[in-house]
Amino acid sequence: MANQPEPSSREVIDSALNRLLCDLALGDGGKLDVANRSSDLVTLVVGLGSPALDSLIGDVAIANNAGDLERALVAFSEAWNVWTPDGDRAPGPAAPPAPAARKEAAASVPTPAAETSNAQSRVDEDVAALRGDPELAAMFVGEALDHLSSIETCVLQLEAAPGDTKLLNDIFRPFHTVKGNAGALGVTRVQELAHKVENLLDLCRSGRHTLGPAETDAVLEAVDVLTALINDIQGRLNGRPGTDLEPRRRVLMDVVDGLVNGTGAVARAVDTPVPPAVVDKAVGTVARNAAEAQAEPWTRESASAVEPAPSSDSAPKPTPSRRADDIAGQVSVKVDTRKLDNLVDMVGELVIAQAILQEDPALLKAADERLTRNLAQLKRITSDLQKNAMSMRMVPIRQTFQKMARLVRDLSKKSGKSVDLVLSGEDTELDRRVVEDINDPLMHMVRNSVDHGIEDAERRAKSGKRPEGRLALSAYHQGGNIVIAIEDDGAGLNSERILAKAVSQGLVRPNDTLTPSEIHQLIFRPGFSTAEKITEISGRGVGMDVVRRNIDALRGRIEIQSTIGRGTTFLIKLPLTLAILDGLLLGVGTERFVMPTFGVRESLRPVPEQIHTVQGRPCMLQVRDKLVPLVWLAELFGIEGRETDACRATVVVIEDDGHQVGLVVDRLLGKQEVVIKSLGEAFGQMSGVAGAAILGDGRVGLILDAHGIVGRTRGEGSRAA
Amino acid sequence: MTAAIATLEPDTSTTREATSLAGKYLTFALAGEEYGLPVLKVREIIKILDITAVPQAPRHVKGVINLRGKVIPVVDLRLKFGFASQDYGERTCIIVIEVALRSSKVMVGVVVDAVSEVLTITSDEIEATPEFGEHVNTEFMRGVAKIKGRVKFLLDLDRIFGGAATLL
Repeated sequence: MANQPEPSSREVIDSALNRLLCDLALGDGGKLDVANRSSDLVTLVVGLGSPALDSLIGDVAIANNAGDLERALVAFSEAWNVWTPDGDRAPGPAAPPAPAARKEAAASVPTPAAETSNAQSRVDEDVAALRGDPELAAMFVGEALDHLSSIETCVLQLEAAPGDTKLLNDIFRPFHTVKGNAGALGVTRVQELAHKVENLLDLCRSGRHTLGPAETDAVLEAVDVLTALINDIQGRLNGRPGTDLEPRRRVLMDVVDGLVNGTGAVARAVDTPVPPAVVDKAVGTVARNAAEAQAEPWTRESASAVEPAPSSDSAPKPTPSRRADDIAGQVSVKVDTRKLDNLVDMVGELVIAQAILQEDPALLKAADERLTRNLAQLKRITSDLQKNAMSMRMVPIRQTFQKMARLVRDLSKKSGKSVDLVLSGEDTELDRRVVEDINDPLMHMVRNSVDHGIEDAERRAKSGKRPEGRLALSAYHQGGNIVIAIEDDGAGLNSERILAKAVSQGLVRPNDTLTPSEIHQLIFRPGFSTAEKITEISGRGVGMDVVRRNIDALRGRIEIQSTIGRGTTFLIKLPLTLAILDGLLLGVGTERFVMPTFGVRESLRPVPEQIHTVQGRPCMLQVRDKLVPLVWLAELFGIEGRETDACRATVVVIEDDGHQVGLVVDRLLGKQEVVIKSLGEAFGQMSGVAGAAILGDGRVGLILDAHGIVGRTRGEGSRAA
Repeated sequence: MTAAIATLEPDTSTTREATSLAGKYLTFALAGEEYGLPVLKVREIIKILDITAVPQAPRHVKGVINLRGKVIPVVDLRLKFGFASQDYGERTCIIVIEVALRSSKVMVGVVVDAVSEVLTITSDEIEATPEFGEHVNTEFMRGVAKIKGRVKFLLDLDRIFGGAATLL
């Protein structure tokens, strides 16, 4: 047995593992055979001396029945397939040979202009620096982006509370860490920029420079540029074409240099993000404040508070400072989302297995108190475990809100309207995917609110409002949903103008009567928003249909409350998590389906008087004063053995986009929370089916899609007519 | 028959195929004929279990099953190949294989009449797929293996399921 992993030992183990798995799979290998082979395999693997494999192969060794052995072997073979002799870790994605790629890229630069090729080669150097170790690169990118977003938050807070030393330090430290990490890895462009900004911040910290609006803008621009640089490098690593950020970076570096030197050189820089006037003013205030700074208590405090920091200044070691951050805040571990999803899958299975055990007739018969107690304990643990597993996907919405703070700041500068942003409920937790996907629509709506909702100071004064506009962003729980509210005190939606526009565009017939909320919903209609003048008239404009589509994709909906002259509130109602869905379990023939309760209005067993027939077919159902078209789920999906008498069946009234449909099913089996699974790429897009869920008995049930079903009925109806 | 076969060295499988069709095959019976699948593509073999039908799916897609918490599609190979369907019995198995659809790899269950054995087939036992005329579709075949007087058709999984965007 070789102690050193030689190339041949992999093949030996491979073939031993292969034989064993085949024997087990076919079930025809004699018991003795399997036992012998597994002990051979154990000996072989132990010979490799890998701790990671040892624990897995240990499970194989102690397995005393075919089921255990199989599970242990599968676990082992998964680890074995990715195991490499040099170190117990999975090899990352294959890294192409860096030097060769670099040469090629350098050779392919078409312009001989020294500056361009120089800039290009520096980009290549940065990319090459990270190419060697994909894991390290991913860690660097992730950490740096985290730091940058925390910097942004702190800068905005500091702007509101100038002179807060702690905040200034909170900005300085992550810059320092980013610089250190970038330096250690050789990503020089990031390091240079971070270093310059760090210098500026250091001057501010020590009271030798005042952090004015120009500095704040420069720091924020630095955050943007660094984020863009890092994203660009990561993109290039993944083979995406990059963008040229060099001019922007150069300009910013000049600006920062200008601020540090206190000269007005900046003003000459082209495309500078800081208006020259602001810089001049800032330089002026620097001089003025320099004298005052002596007297200000906080600057002295800051100088002393800084003392311990410089020790880490000399040696830019990334890990210690990162760890210090973690201890100060929350300790967290980054986990691949696939691992999390797998965990959730397995926990779901555990819950089902537990339920099956609970209902087992043999156990029910055995009326043993201890057994019952232990089973109850198992159930409690399982459901706790499930809750915990689910909660791991949840993250607070804080970061998204803070991005809005930055957006509102920039917008209000650009438009000249001063807007107070009030945030509340930033700690409300949402599904990770919801938080990611809500970002764009939220940004869009905030932009709309500032651009068009909130009037300029003059018009506000005329209507007797405070000159500052108020925009409130809040998140809270409400009846099993998460609500995100965007509230402005602007001009409000003008229903008459919206309606007139909709009529002229043919979206609404002139004599239709619409409720106020129906009128408001019109702004989400595609095509409506592209109308040229609507932004001036009503204040809501471009791309609200896209916002609506994004929210729909998250199984959420938007409500609008608006009063002319008083303001508008958008309420985005979202499900708590995308992983779990509250549904009604419906039975048709032998099949079962899950209808999300979100789209269900009511369910009822009709009486003959409620049913209206067309050509002898029951087609319409009278629900109070409304007529609802009936759809037989069995017909829609081609299921046999269904209930044919509508009065013996159950009608579930579903609604989508204001249209109701009565879905006829055989039975209502109850309400159930299910874990949503995608049907996967294999099935492509299917109308009427939103996914699949694993039901209490371990079988798969399809999740219905109200939108698709209502859409199909309406489509067919109009074709028939 | 509930045991699992895990793929071994999935990364090298493609290069190996390129050089030779020889290797280990899982053989199974389908409508009285013998077929072989490269064992490296096989994830596991399970007994037939409850399949949930999926509406609007073609006839050979029987539906979806719950494979330890994952929902995977199941295809009846008899129907896919145009044989008469047959009630599922004791010997009916679902072979879970991994195929490349578009960019991602997905697991697919394949219903077969019975699983036979794992065979090591050498390159001199394999012949190119002969032309059977226009009535027989041979595009799914990688070759034919003659072993002890019996003929086994070696299937090309990526041809059967891959290439297309969906199973539908």
